[in-house]
Amino acid sequence: MLKERQTSVRSWLASGEPWVWANAAAVGISVVAVAGLLLLIAIRGLAHFWPAEVRLINFTDQFGQAQVAMGELADMESLTPQRYAEVFGSSDPQTEIVQRWLLKTGNRRYSPPDFQWLFERDVSSIEYPEHAVVLERMEWGNAYGFLVSVYDGDRQVTSGDLWAAFQQRLERARDIRLQIEELEQGTLNRINYQLERLRLERRSLEFAGESASHLAPEEADLNADYLVSESQLRDLYTSLQRDNIELRLASGRVVTTNLAEVVRAWRPNRMSLADKLGHYMSSIWLFLSEQPREANTEGGIFPAIFGTVMMVLLMSVLVTPFGVIAAIYLREYAHQGPFVRLIRIAVNNLAGVPSIVYGVFGLGFFVYFIGGNLDQLFFPEALPAPTFGTPGLLWASLTLALLTVPVVVVSTEEGLTRIPRAIREGSLALGATKAETLFRVILPMASPSILTGVILAVARAAGEVAPLMLVGVVKLAPTLPVDGNFPFVHLERKFMHLGFHIYDVGFQSPNVDAARPLVYATALLLVLIIVVLNLTAIMLRNRLENRYRGVES
Amino acid sequence: MSALAELSTLPKHRRLVNTVTRHAVSLGGAAAIGAIALIFFYLLWVVAPILAPASIEHAQSYDIDGERALLLEANESGEIGLRFSAAGDALFFDLQDGNKLSELNLAESARSVKRAYPGGATYAVLTGDHQLALFEASYPVSFEGDRRVVKPSLQAVFEDWVDLGEVRDFDVAYDDFEVTIVSLEENTLTVTHYRDAEAGYPLEFPRRGEISLDRSYQRVLLGARATWVYLLAEDGTVEIFDLRRKTAPKQIYLGKLVPDGSAVTALEPLLGRYSLLVGDDSNNIAQWFLIRGEFGYTMEHIRDFALDAPATRIVPEPRRKGFAAVDAQGTAYLMYTTSQQTLAKKELGSAGLVTSSIAPRSDLLLTSNAGGTINAFALHNEHPEISWSALWSKVWYEGYPEPVFSWQSSSADNDFEAKFSLMPLLFGTLKAAFYAMVFAVPIAIMGAIYTAYFMAPSMRRVVKPGIEIMAALPTVILGFLAGLWLAPLIEANLAAVLSMFVILPAAVLLTAVVWIRLPSRLTQRLEGWYGLLIMPVIALAVGASFWLGPLVETSLFGGNARAWFLDVLGLGYDQRNALVVGLAMGLAVIPHIFAVAEDAIYGVPTHLVNGSLALGATPWQTLARVVILTASPGIFSAVMLGLGRAVGETMIVLMATGNTPVMDLNIFQGMRTFAANIAVELPESEVNSTHYRILFLAALVLFVITFVFNTAAEVVRHRLRVRYGNL
Repeated sequence: MLKERQTSVRSWLASGEPWVWANAAAVGISVVAVAGLLLLIAIRGLAHFWPAEVRLINFTDQFGQAQVAMGELADMESLTPQRYAEVFGSSDPQTEIVQRWLLKTGNRRYSPPDFQWLFERDVSSIEYPEHAVVLERMEWGNAYGFLVSVYDGDRQVTSGDLWAAFQQRLERARDIRLQIEELEQGTLNRINYQLERLRLERRSLEFAGESASHLAPEEADLNADYLVSESQLRDLYTSLQRDNIELRLASGRVVTTNLAEVVRAWRPNRMSLADKLGHYMSSIWLFLSEQPREANTEGGIFPAIFGTVMMVLLMSVLVTPFGVIAAIYLREYAHQGPFVRLIRIAVNNLAGVPSIVYGVFGLGFFVYFIGGNLDQLFFPEALPAPTFGTPGLLWASLTLALLTVPVVVVSTEEGLTRIPRAIREGSLALGATKAETLFRVILPMASPSILTGVILAVARAAGEVAPLMLVGVVKLAPTLPVDGNFPFVHLERKFMHLGFHIYDVGFQSPNVDAARPLVYATALLLVLIIVVLNLTAIMLRNRLENRYRGVES
Repeated sequence: MSALAELSTLPKHRRLVNTVTRHAVSLGGAAAIGAIALIFFYLLWVVAPILAPASIEHAQSYDIDGERALLLEANESGEIGLRFSAAGDALFFDLQDGNKLSELNLAESARSVKRAYPGGATYAVLTGDHQLALFEASYPVSFEGDRRVVKPSLQAVFEDWVDLGEVRDFDVAYDDFEVTIVSLEENTLTVTHYRDAEAGYPLEFPRRGEISLDRSYQRVLLGARATWVYLLAEDGTVEIFDLRRKTAPKQIYLGKLVPDGSAVTALEPLLGRYSLLVGDDSNNIAQWFLIRGEFGYTMEHIRDFALDAPATRIVPEPRRKGFAAVDAQGTAYLMYTTSQQTLAKKELGSAGLVTSSIAPRSDLLLTSNAGGTINAFALHNEHPEISWSALWSKVWYEGYPEPVFSWQSSSADNDFEAKFSLMPLLFGTLKAAFYAMVFAVPIAIMGAIYTAYFMAPSMRRVVKPGIEIMAALPTVILGFLAGLWLAPLIEANLAAVLSMFVILPAAVLLTAVVWIRLPSRLTQRLEGWYGLLIMPVIALAVGASFWLGPLVETSLFGGNARAWFLDVLGLGYDQRNALVVGLAMGLAVIPHIFAVAEDAIYGVPTHLVNGSLALGATPWQTLARVVILTASPGIFSAVMLGLGRAVGETMIVLMATGNTPVMDLNIFQGMRTFAANIAVELPESEVNSTHYRILFLAALVLFVITFVFNTAAEVVRHRLRVRYGNL
């Protein structure tokens, strides 16, 4: 019996069954890890926008005093006695495992800190007050409290529904803010831009030794315009700051908040599911469409999305012809010999060179060498302030174009290989030249695989951060690379980028705790973009795989 | 075919289009090679100047008025010279043509003029009748029309002169509203200290400390930040007094700087006054500095520089830890302490130097001889800090108790010694790559084996694109999760994570054992789906690890795993450490290894497999002895590619390690890699500085390493393809 058992174990081992399972586990681990990470990002990223309930918690503090705190539940944690001892220096005698809650109490500037740990055992009661108000403020994060009164200028609003009166004035403030934005981004921005252009023109005329007096009237006009707009702006700001509300905090203190400081206000405990969904959608929309606030830890990420898209577009324009031509050369024109092998090795190496090396090269060669010389030649009037001799959109796109060349080459080559020989020969036999065959037959047939390559290149570029940190990305760009000022697209400007935004907000921001949900949301957006792009490319490729099988046979 | 097309009678423009296309396309192909060559040669071009030799060239001689110089100085831009003479004059002259610009009489006669510590353009002038005053030179720039004009001026810093009495030597420090004057008489050292010394006002309320000496000394020198003072005798005796309490100097060291029987021929402090450079009559210059040890302070002999004759003059550079030396035969040397090298040598051709100095930018050496002739020498010495030993060997840096590998490229101090050892970075790079590969290689290759050989085709069609998407995940996201989610998670649940490495394999084995007990009708058909079946087991095992974590922590690690590792094994714990990097970067590398290895295994010709199976081998035996063996070059090339990735990965290490350049194999400590170092430091580095070029060197090293790995992988793969074709 025992012997039989032994041989069966041995044959079981020989059959390799445990090894097969181990190998299967390796696949399983990879898939579980990736799926788990994606799920984590998705859950944390999406949860951020949900209007969480506001809890009013009565508890006793460490001195035995009754206290009250109000806010959203941010985290829960169970502490083992050892962890408890590590955090508090001594172990808790009563219980084995202690539950504690992290409450986001907000109200920074009124009552710090804005996050508070509470032990479950200290809590005496939890309420969900229906009138609890959440204010999203321009600065200092959220505020939690109860609306006490609304002031229209100096006059207190007494009649009617207080909440409605508040919302109405908030609406008005929002309109004014839009006007201010329009004035600042539109008119004032244009005037400043033109004044700067005139200043440079004057300098360049002075360098040439010519008179610049004919510029004076235009300058005077602009300055006059500027004064008008500026006074308009001042009026708008005054009018924006007209209204106030009074808010009673959980502690009972009443604080006055100017409506200019309030972005949105809601009462989560009163909201129905539909209300919450609506709020959720509008939060997501604001996240996608707004400017960042508070050192990027709040507000939206629109400039980062815009910067990423601009950079990627420009990169595709640069990389496509280069990659496609190289692939055509390798497949259609070159004699398959040592030189072609050399090129293949070069292309493969380009794919394997660490991206930071491209960044170093881009900074040294594109920015300082080419950019610096361009400045000397074409923009001497702006020196010593660099125009192209500093990291910017163009250099970032060029660097990433170089980085993604192999992706396009490989994909295009694959497409070209799949086109059956018979088709080429047919075209040539009909009297077409090689170039005509290429343009009229081969390229149209290969275009889906070229597209696949470009999509993959775009996905790669959208996620790449290390080289961009050196050649043009900044944490906060004052202006978008595209605006209403001639020549409309400003390739020399610095830009924001989703990937860098994640790095910057997650690791360089002063209040990482408050910023974390936003980083997850940004990461989710970036992952979504990249996964969708990749899936598109994969699907496109799968479709192509079987396309010409009939022709060949 | 194209030849045929050209032979035929084509219309001109069609032929033209054809030719142009051909050339354009060939050009595009060559551009791919051009690009890679451009990257390489550009990096090399930036790095090359650190290898360029230094030089000393005679530029000019000035015969101004024959007065004997006490101190010579050049301004920041190297346009204007300043000479203090024995006649008590200060003269500004043009370094282009030697013309006098302005002259100022400071006193009847001057005995000695010194630069006040810590540098800048402040000078202490001691007159023939023992009066001391501080003067500051300034060089304001103005524009007359388009012409740039510098109008130098010299002004007394304080309103009055200080009477030092009959002194042998003195030294002055003036910094942060504090003036410290040390003066040496026959057998007394006197310290005079002024607090709240505001420029433009009288120097008031001196506090004095005095100490009588057992020996007789010739020189007195203040140490760094005027916190100690050196007394030096010609026989090399040095005595050091602590000056932290200015009124009560306290002896902290007494010793000798030269061998017995030798004499000191030249002695100067290095920038920052931590080190002394001591030239003796055995043709040697030695660097010494003070180290605080367990039993008090000692002067340590750090390194030597050999000359052809005894040094007569040592001239420290005002901004760097380098110096020039002139020997008794009139040969000048450029030397640098950190990199311990003699960079250039030149016959000066003028004997009897009385004073000399190096300009602030270290591009000009001024000398003056007894006859009053001033000579200017152009110095080309851009990157003296770098030598093979400075980059790759242990270096004894100032203030360190022993030679170390250290990377510390900048600091707030002006007299900071830059530490450019690449070893900690290389170590960090390899450490990060190693831990990533330890995690990634088994999973990727085993996964590839299963996917290529066992997996059901319909599942393979999903898994392969899935892994491809995994490869496309931006590393910034992996890094962010590693740094902000995984690192705190592991820190809080270290025992759970460690037990996972046991529980997970055990769970897989258990599954295999249970599986064999199931009816084979069911099991045989599902072999291709093991990968899917195992997933819930993995999830359960991970959950179990976290559930058992506290138990494991209590029973094995005495309740606190991190404390246990520190106490029992002496392993300190950083939150962001090599384990976190290994897991995160491993995850980033897996798909790259997987893809290539899977291709290699999948591509093994089927007749080999069928032959083996026909001879009676089990599928596993076939796999282990035939398939993997045949595909091994491909697997090797996959590992090489993965290694290339791991070495160059930036964002994950940047975010998931503390970026401290320590050399410690401990898996719970962080590291700094080449790539992360470039990302952190290059944006702040001054263009074309030594630091900038070293960062380019780091990039070049990365480029070359990955180039070698990739080329090796590519060559192996190519040969494998040929072999598969032949089989």
